Amino acid sequence: MRFAHAMRGIRKQTNGWLFVGLTGAAVVLLPVFSIFISLFHPPNENWQHIKQYLLKDYVLQTIWLVLFTGIFTVLIGVALAWLIAAYDFPMKRFFRWALVLPLAVPPYIAAYTYGTMLSYTGVVQKTLRWFEVPVNPRFFDVMSLRGAIFIFTLVLFPYVYMITRAFLERQSGSYIENAVLLGRSPASIFVRIVLPISRPAIAGGLTLVLFEVVSDYGLTSYYGIRTISTAIFQTWFGMYDVDSAVRLAAWLMAGIVGLFILERALRSHRKFSASTSKSRPLVPKKLRGIRASAALLFCGAVFAFSFLIPFVQLLVWAFWSYEDVLTSGFLDLTYNTLSVALISTAIILFFSVAAANVCRLQANGFAYVLSKLVTAGYSIPGAIIAVGVLALFIRLDQQLAPLYARMGLGESPLVLSMSLVMLVTAYVARFMAVGYNAVEAGFEKIGTQYTEASRLLGHGITRTFFKVDLPMIRGALFSGAILTFVEMVKELPLALLLRPFNFETLATKTYQYASDERIYEAAVPSLFIIGVSFISVVVFHQLGKKLER
Amino acid sequence: MMKARAILSLLLAAVMITVLLAGCASGPQQQTGQNGSEQQGKQETGASDQQKEQVVNIYTARHYEVDDVLYQKFTQETGIKVNVVKGKAEELIERLKREGQSTPADLFITVDGGVLNNAKQSGVLQPVTSAVIDENVPKQFRDKDNEWIGLSTRARVIVYSKDRVKPEQLSTYEDLASDKWKGKVLVRSSTSLYNQSLLASLIELNGEQKAEEWAKGIVNNLARAPEGGDRDQAKAIVAGVGDVAIMNTYYFGQLLYSKDPEEVKVAEQLGVFFPNQDTTGTHLNISGVGLVKHSKNKENAVKLIEFLTGEEAQALMSKENYEFPVNPKAQKPELLQSWGEFKAQQIDFAKLGEHNKKALEIMNKVGWK
Repeated sequence: MRFAHAMRGIRKQTNGWLFVGLTGAAVVLLPVFSIFISLFHPPNENWQHIKQYLLKDYVLQTIWLVLFTGIFTVLIGVALAWLIAAYDFPMKRFFRWALVLPLAVPPYIAAYTYGTMLSYTGVVQKTLRWFEVPVNPRFFDVMSLRGAIFIFTLVLFPYVYMITRAFLERQSGSYIENAVLLGRSPASIFVRIVLPISRPAIAGGLTLVLFEVVSDYGLTSYYGIRTISTAIFQTWFGMYDVDSAVRLAAWLMAGIVGLFILERALRSHRKFSASTSKSRPLVPKKLRGIRASAALLFCGAVFAFSFLIPFVQLLVWAFWSYEDVLTSGFLDLTYNTLSVALISTAIILFFSVAAANVCRLQANGFAYVLSKLVTAGYSIPGAIIAVGVLALFIRLDQQLAPLYARMGLGESPLVLSMSLVMLVTAYVARFMAVGYNAVEAGFEKIGTQYTEASRLLGHGITRTFFKVDLPMIRGALFSGAILTFVEMVKELPLALLLRPFNFETLATKTYQYASDERIYEAAVPSLFIIGVSFISVVVFHQLGKKLER
Repeated sequence: MMKARAILSLLLAAVMITVLLAGCASGPQQQTGQNGSEQQGKQETGASDQQKEQVVNIYTARHYEVDDVLYQKFTQETGIKVNVVKGKAEELIERLKREGQSTPADLFITVDGGVLNNAKQSGVLQPVTSAVIDENVPKQFRDKDNEWIGLSTRARVIVYSKDRVKPEQLSTYEDLASDKWKGKVLVRSSTSLYNQSLLASLIELNGEQKAEEWAKGIVNNLARAPEGGDRDQAKAIVAGVGDVAIMNTYYFGQLLYSKDPEEVKVAEQLGVFFPNQDTTGTHLNISGVGLVKHSKNKENAVKLIEFLTGEEAQALMSKENYEFPVNPKAQKPELLQSWGEFKAQQIDFAKLGEHNKKALEIMNKVGWK
């Protein structure tokens, strides 16, 4: 009797959801573990050198960069989300989705674009010279820590904006209406209510920003900023020491997981799900006169700097170079980019939902650490993850060699690691964080009470998911899909190392030119990346609207 | 009951995704025709070996358009299909190392003698034997065991403001570290391989201590903290930030023939100076190709090297990219001809690789960002 009871308990825990969640975790964790293991190898003499000369300076610069980018992205992202969610003003409907567009601009492209625009030969100084305004070139020096913070903020704030806006629009109605009824001023509502209740959403967006900044190599190396990422690559490319590079990456990841545990401890006793049975969407208030203009101006300025200006500049450059660069091959490039990104997005969402659902329903420490490890892969520079995935696949191919031989593929060929399976796996491993965070934020705000009610009424986890949970996290799922998809359209380091022969994406084509400082030629593929992301944002947006009805 | 069906449907979804994935994965793979299954299929149908598609597989860290043009020409001439993976040199070496015997790659192409030497040291290359190549490429542009063959070189020169600097004031790299250039020198960051190789060459020529003093002197003389690429240094001269910059010749060519008239104006205000003509010679950087140790299409690979080092291919590479050809018979474009002959550093390129780590250590030590 007791035994049967225990068995039932085990069966209750181990279901298809757990299985899929664990598979997803395994895809991410295997390469991540292969990196972590390096911490247990004895360090070599290069490690001493790194500790002595590089570490302190690089860690400090990384902290400054992350800190200020974090502050600014939250300020801009949350302010915009609040404006769009809570007010009506001219062109709001346009800005609502247009403010997501800066995500389509890869940070390294934005870095090159602003760097060249503000350089001596760039349009800004040229125009000033033409009007004979004396120019101090140092004033326009964007290639500095300040400049890097500026660029990162511009292209990354949409993470915070998007996730926070989705949250505010759907969930915050009753709190804010009550506050208004109680006579709170808008500023006080923003500080005392909006910021605290959107904390999980902000944290979700901010996490992505932080990961993106920490793992970036393109922008930081071009601007000469010394971050941990640059140190990793200096060790690898300069000292030819992959092991120490991987070791650095492992420390970086350990630090990031540590940060999460801290954040978790800080909000351990709070729950952020809505406790009312019905969470009303926020009804926007109409702004008039000077306030409407101010809102319009703010949104317009952010949009202009983060998207419009670089976009127009790239258009001008593309106009100079398209004759040499643009060929019918771009159709293939676009097709390649789209297909890999679509497949990977589908897989990521599938695993994210499963893993997040499991973690939510079995809220224990193990599930939490697992979920954070799953996303921590995002904090490591892509090239390091790539090495982990590469090692894994080559080993897998070696294991499968007898099978290949029987299939008549020859002696120990590389089948999997010469196919797109490797690249897609790497995408899933690296970008799980993006999908997962969005989905998790969605689950977090609905809490478990509906699910529990449904289970009490006799539905299984799966039926409950499709009937109860899925309709409620649809919005989050959509933001997750856009974010992941756009992220992969512009992804570079993984595609660069893990692609099969003759496989080019738009990003690798961009890199081909940009790495050689040929920014005008790079403008053409960059515009394709932006175009593809643009269209996908619009399509997702329309789909999302249709579903909401 | 319900649960079982749910699990089944989930599994079904997973299988569908896998199938989708596999289907997509096999598409481009078959196109490349290098995974063997296609070749195998043809053999089984009794086709002779000659009908089997001839290929050569390249891992390359050279990202120039002209390379693709040359591969196409090669395919037209020989019928051998060229499959390419482009990437960063060190990452590709890592990939070669990990793939070991199974590697599909036949050739490894990259920029910088240090990296070529690193590939050799990593044991992923093998010697090339070909009379044609020996004829095409002079000995100093080849590895001493012929494990890699030079394709082109670029000189790391000093460019200066024609307004503010007279060429007579310039002499050597070493001189740039002296007090008279305080606050006037521009150079990019130490993450650049070109700078690492330059310092490595000075370690070889002048010894470690002198090289360190030099690096310290350069850092003291910097007009600003290193930022941007080589071309950005040239622009900074014209903008008045500094007077002299260390940069590669082909970047200067790119500026001079840029589509942006403003960039052309920049190049026109600058002079190019080949340093160390009376002493050790101007620093050269080499790009080259190596035969992969476990190459499966060795014959085709050697043919491609022969083609790339041939007169015609060399001239085209030089014309499109403003690099110096390694084949002395190849025609040089006008800009390179206008610079005339110059004395180049006479050191073994392998030494650049050997000293690279030391160079980086010095740069970190003296605070060359």
